[in-house]
Amino acid sequence: MPRWIMSRWVIVPLVIAGFALTWNGYVALNDGGRIEGRVVDASGRPVPDATVILLERHFVVHNERQRTRTDSEGRFRFAGNGNHSLQLEAETDSLGRSERRIVRLWFRAQNITLSEPLRFNAKLP
Amino acid sequence: MIPMRRHSQYMRHAALVGVSAIMLLPFYWVLKTAVTNENIYAYPPRLLPESPHLFNFVDVWYFIPFPRYLLNSLVVSVLVVASNVVFNAMAAYALTKNFPGKRAMLLLFLSCMLIPFQATIIPAYLITSKLGLLNSYLGLAFPLLSTIVCIFVFKAAFEAVPQSLVDAARIDGLSEGRIILRVLMPLSTAAVATNVVLAFIWSWNAFLWPLIITREPTMQTLPLGLARFLSYMEDTTGALYAFAVMVLAPSIFVFLMAQKEFIRGLTSGATKG
Repeated sequence: MPRWIMSRWVIVPLVIAGFALTWNGYVALNDGGRIEGRVVDASGRPVPDATVILLERHFVVHNERQRTRTDSEGRFRFAGNGNHSLQLEAETDSLGRSERRIVRLWFRAQNITLSEPLRFNAKLP
Repeated sequence: MIPMRRHSQYMRHAALVGVSAIMLLPFYWVLKTAVTNENIYAYPPRLLPESPHLFNFVDVWYFIPFPRYLLNSLVVSVLVVASNVVFNAMAAYALTKNFPGKRAMLLLFLSCMLIPFQATIIPAYLITSKLGLLNSYLGLAFPLLSTIVCIFVFKAAFEAVPQSLVDAARIDGLSEGRIILRVLMPLSTAAVATNVVLAFIWSWNAFLWPLIITREPTMQTLPLGLARFLSYMEDTTGALYAFAVMVLAPSIFVFLMAQKEFIRGLTSGATKG
């Protein structure tokens, strides 16, 4: 094996290039812009037909980008997100507004499923 | 005797570690703020970061065209470093020779060093404009293609090389260019290293000139990007420090990679007889 291959000027750039390629491959496989999650009330019961609002960060303000409604199990899904810094909020006529959840992504349009549901402070009747 | 010597060695190393820690503290503080959103004026200050994260770096990457700024800065810095080494070495070699008007030329160079760049920026802009180099990489690098300080660094290094070596090379049939390349430059590694480091730092940190001659955001360099980022993200200290880390990282990385060569180059000139 030639000695120059073992030089740090070869090994370190190769390691960096390998890391960059792997990361870009991972991004390419996971940049569908899909955001999924659940909405529950204060007691943990799913909230059907709640409006979920997706807000996108634009420098220092958050602008509303999309809205969707939860299904009978309180699940919601957004498609086509193109940002990396988001906020999610749910609202219904009877329960008011949920806490606003900050969602930070590692890259634009990263597919993500919320590990914790959006929670209202009130209980469903 | 041996334990006594070892004890003093421990003390010396402990003192060096302490001094190093004090010197590295500002860097640590920048890094710590970059991975948190802590207020830098918070009292009492926290030594360890609380719930660190890397999302400030993601913000920097996406809120401004950071990769483009980085590429622009790199291209300009490479141009400046390469031209400084070539042009300054040639100018310095000429100044080691005796020719009519040499003294006046040296005085001219020295007096030019007294004029601040801000005073010559309008003629520099007009010349660059006439050459059609506005908003181009060459235009960005133009005022730094050769610097008088670095010419004198090379001149001093070349004058330290024995004239007999240059004469011997000439008798062997080397042209003037090859004498610089094959004889003087290898014996002046300290001057080359100084030129590279100074030219890189000056071009990497240049703000006023790129601000004046760039017309499009796609041609801006990292310092301009930092100013733009500041105007957008006035409330986020963490993102600002993340930007600073990302600007610093390439140069620190290059320095760490080339540390051995830099130190060898800088110290060989000092210890040579």
